[in-house]
Amino acid sequence: MNGPTVTSNGRPGTGLDQQKLVQSLLLVVVSVLVLGPVLVLIRTSLAPSEAMPFETLDFTLKHYAQLLQSPRTISLMWNTVVYALSSMTIGVAIATAIAWCTERTDMPGRTIVRILMFAWMMVPALVIGFGWILLLNPGNGALNVLFRELFGYLQPILTIYSFWSLIIITSFAVVPTGFVMISGLLRNMDPNLELAARVHGGSSWATLTRVTLPVLTPGLFSIGIYMFMAVVQAFDLPLIIGLSADVPVLSTRVYLLSSPDNGLPNYGLAASFGVLLLVLAAGLMWAYMRAIRLGERFRVVTGKAYRPKRITLGLWRFAAIGFTFSYCAAMMLPLLILLWVSLLPHYSTPSLSAFGGLSFDTYRRLLTNPMISRAIGNTIILVISSATIVMLISCLIGWFTVRSNSRAGKILDALSFLPMAIPPIVLVLAILLLYLNTPLYGTIWILVLGHMTIYISFGVRTMSSALIQLHKELGDAALISGASWLTSLQKVTFPLVWPQILNGWLWVFAHSARDLTVPLMLMTTSNIVAASTLWNLWQFPDLPGAAALAMLLMTALLAVVVPSQLYVSSRLER
Amino acid sequence: MLLIEKLVKSYPGQHGQDAMLALRDISFKVEEGSFFTLLGPSGCGKTTTLQCIAGLEHPDTGLIQMGGKTMFSSRENLIVPANRRELGMVFQSYAVWPHMTVFENVAFPLVYGIKRAPTQEMRTRVLKALEMVELGQFADRPAPLLSGGQQQRVALARALVHAPRLLLLDEPLSNLDAKLRDTMRTEIRNLVKSLGITTIFVTHDQVEAVSMSDQILLMRAGKIVQQGSPRDIYLSPNSVFTADFMGRSNLITGVLDRSGETARAHTALGPISGVAGPALKPGASVVVVVRPQGIRIASTSESSGLNCFKARVQNMNFLGDVVEMQVDIQGSKLTLMLNPYTAISVGQELTLEFPPERCVIVPSEVPSSCGPLK
Ligand SMILES: Nc1ncnc2c1ncn2[C@@H]1O[C@H](COP(=O)(O)OP(=O)(O)O)[C@@H](O)[C@H]1O
Ligand SMILES: [Mg+2]
Repeated sequence: MNGPTVTSNGRPGTGLDQQKLVQSLLLVVVSVLVLGPVLVLIRTSLAPSEAMPFETLDFTLKHYAQLLQSPRTISLMWNTVVYALSSMTIGVAIATAIAWCTERTDMPGRTIVRILMFAWMMVPALVIGFGWILLLNPGNGALNVLFRELFGYLQPILTIYSFWSLIIITSFAVVPTGFVMISGLLRNMDPNLELAARVHGGSSWATLTRVTLPVLTPGLFSIGIYMFMAVVQAFDLPLIIGLSADVPVLSTRVYLLSSPDNGLPNYGLAASFGVLLLVLAAGLMWAYMRAIRLGERFRVVTGKAYRPKRITLGLWRFAAIGFTFSYCAAMMLPLLILLWVSLLPHYSTPSLSAFGGLSFDTYRRLLTNPMISRAIGNTIILVISSATIVMLISCLIGWFTVRSNSRAGKILDALSFLPMAIPPIVLVLAILLLYLNTPLYGTIWILVLGHMTIYISFGVRTMSSALIQLHKELGDAALISGASWLTSLQKVTFPLVWPQILNGWLWVFAHSARDLTVPLMLMTTSNIVAASTLWNLWQFPDLPGAAALAMLLMTALLAVVVPSQLYVSSRLER
Repeated sequence: MLLIEKLVKSYPGQHGQDAMLALRDISFKVEEGSFFTLLGPSGCGKTTTLQCIAGLEHPDTGLIQMGGKTMFSSRENLIVPANRRELGMVFQSYAVWPHMTVFENVAFPLVYGIKRAPTQEMRTRVLKALEMVELGQFADRPAPLLSGGQQQRVALARALVHAPRLLLLDEPLSNLDAKLRDTMRTEIRNLVKSLGITTIFVTHDQVEAVSMSDQILLMRAGKIVQQGSPRDIYLSPNSVFTADFMGRSNLITGVLDRSGETARAHTALGPISGVAGPALKPGASVVVVVRPQGIRIASTSESSGLNCFKARVQNMNFLGDVVEMQVDIQGSKLTLMLNPYTAISVGQELTLEFPPERCVIVPSEVPSSCGPLK
């Protein structure tokens, strides 16, 4: 090169200071949030178990040796993979069928199905799991009792505590998310492809199998990998169902090693299992990114708004309605039984005779209990601070990843993406190890820290895809007008993407409220929140109390999230 | 007013490509109060130059001074950030903020800028700026409810309300329909001239450039090709590129025979006398540029005069305000533009005269292109 030397973007000068300062701050915050735990995790897995990781300089491969030699490791891996693969396959299949019916056919009741699916995304998996246990446990599960009385079976016909029940319930639980992703995919598909097949004489069935499905395959494939990853990382259902069914998976193993019912936690071994799970998740993440990139190449998206012609189902509509209704019923049942149980002073199976005893006493009892009040207060602090801090950081990082092509911008982008590949249970273990001996431990703020780390990659993704669509000149115009960089962000750039900011905020809000992993792993008496209290009541056991709290949590979530989201989406469509 | 010296700007290569040199050694000067146009084909670096002046991009090396104050200097390692340069700019997309009213848009520089005004003064100045662009009655309207032309006026008012040192306009007319473009052309020029503000205007349209500017800087592939008044650039191009870019011309290749003011080139038509730049030496391969309007139809008696050639009319194209005529001179095809009352028919033999002062002799093209930086 005989031209000038290409200097780096960030030349020192007056007034770039504001940007520089914020950028350095973000780098520090994100490194502490993300890199700190990962390094501690790896360090712990290599430290002798007698000492805390910071108190020793010794390195040992003992835990890895133990992990690799144990025959249980193989069965754990096997369980995890079978569990994730089966749940993902069934979940995606159901979601695809329902999404196709609502997006592509004239099935009646499409709008209701869509609204229900969005609402269920907000329902904690924990709540659904509890509901199913009440329905199907071998002793006095409501459905089992019903069958026994109707047909005189002595043996319970179904049991919640089996590998298959775990798989089916998990797959039901992932359907709403799958539905939202797949219907987006269907909506973006060019209807002319289908139309062309019909015009050339293909029957509906042939069109579906020969054209629609193959065209969707790359997209479905990446959604499949995403779901697989989500199930591998799942913790709550394997905890409440899988452990009683004696089906340990990697996530519950990490939990049991670090918070055993009796004995001392074995952090070293837990950390080495965590590293194993991390590697598995990172591999899946890589596969997911590859699949997305391949999918882009095959993309047949018009990007234009259009009204696709819906397929007339005819008599098939009964099959479609039947199928969709069965799924909806299967999702409603656990919620209904929880409602029932929450209205009774003592647990009993649904019957006409018990109707007279229904009352709101349990709710009254819960709301006057100081422990519960504290948990509710903590929950409010947790969800609002997590959502607000995550979105604040995400807005700024999103700006740097989209607008600045400096090296620091790229590092921020990569760092904020990293938590996507770290299973929450592993991350929380690492946070526990990092902050165990600090004053932060035991406060609500350590939960906030955990949720910040877990949800920041979602926040940054949301904000960078929002900002990339915003014309750069809008922000530049504010700078030229003499406004400082922060003023331009505050008055122009961020107000223009507020629907996306609010959407992201609601997402983090809901996920922070429904998450059990972080509150449970980091639980002390002072930082209990709704999810961990729910778990405590269930374990105690105080079934009506747990059911009532579950109903309260769910109602509060739906009441906040659904109306705001409807409002945002109506604003976005204008 | 504005001094630009030896600007070099490269963009980092994306997706594994090489870095891209967008500006290679750009230097020019803009007089106080002048309407200065950066002209060139798309991708030649006009926007990049403007963004460097604005402070939205920073050059690799070079110097930018405004009114004697240094805004950027790679030698002194000095950058004045965009928000402290006291400029006004109208963007190609207008960048009118859709979440604000017209008034709030225009008030922004006075409310959040560095030259803030107290509320009362701010109101009067905003309303004055809106009057200036004839949008007085639209002050309270939300910005998205404006038409394209109105949005552009808002952008103009916003750029002028804080009395900037320099007004920057990046292809402000390219998103308007043809009719509106014509009226805005005169309106913008009259407005900035009446305010006396120095203006830098970017366009790829030579008609816009010629009709609005005091000075034109013609660029190509990150380099300056020619600078001058519209008349200079149109009538005395210094290269085939300029001649071609500024409008239709007849290009006749040849070899220079005699240099200087009374130069002569040997061409397929025979010797042509014309004007050549001092840099051209006899023996150089050259192109003679003759505008279609520059050729005269001579009386047959002049057939042996200087720069007179016999021609046969091949084609007449009546376009209304002009007649386009194609002629053949010893196998070479040339185009003439005539006034519509000329009575000439196809097949007719004519004598054409190329007045020597209208024949500009320029070097034949040296290949140079914008491309990856090696
Ligand atoms: N942000 C950027 N990153 C990389 N290359 C760019 C960027 N902006 C402009 N370029 C390149 O620099 C050259 C000059 O661009 P520009 O100044 O926008 O041209 P013009 O405004 O004259 O059409 C073009 O080749 C363009 O592709
Ligand atoms: Mg441009």
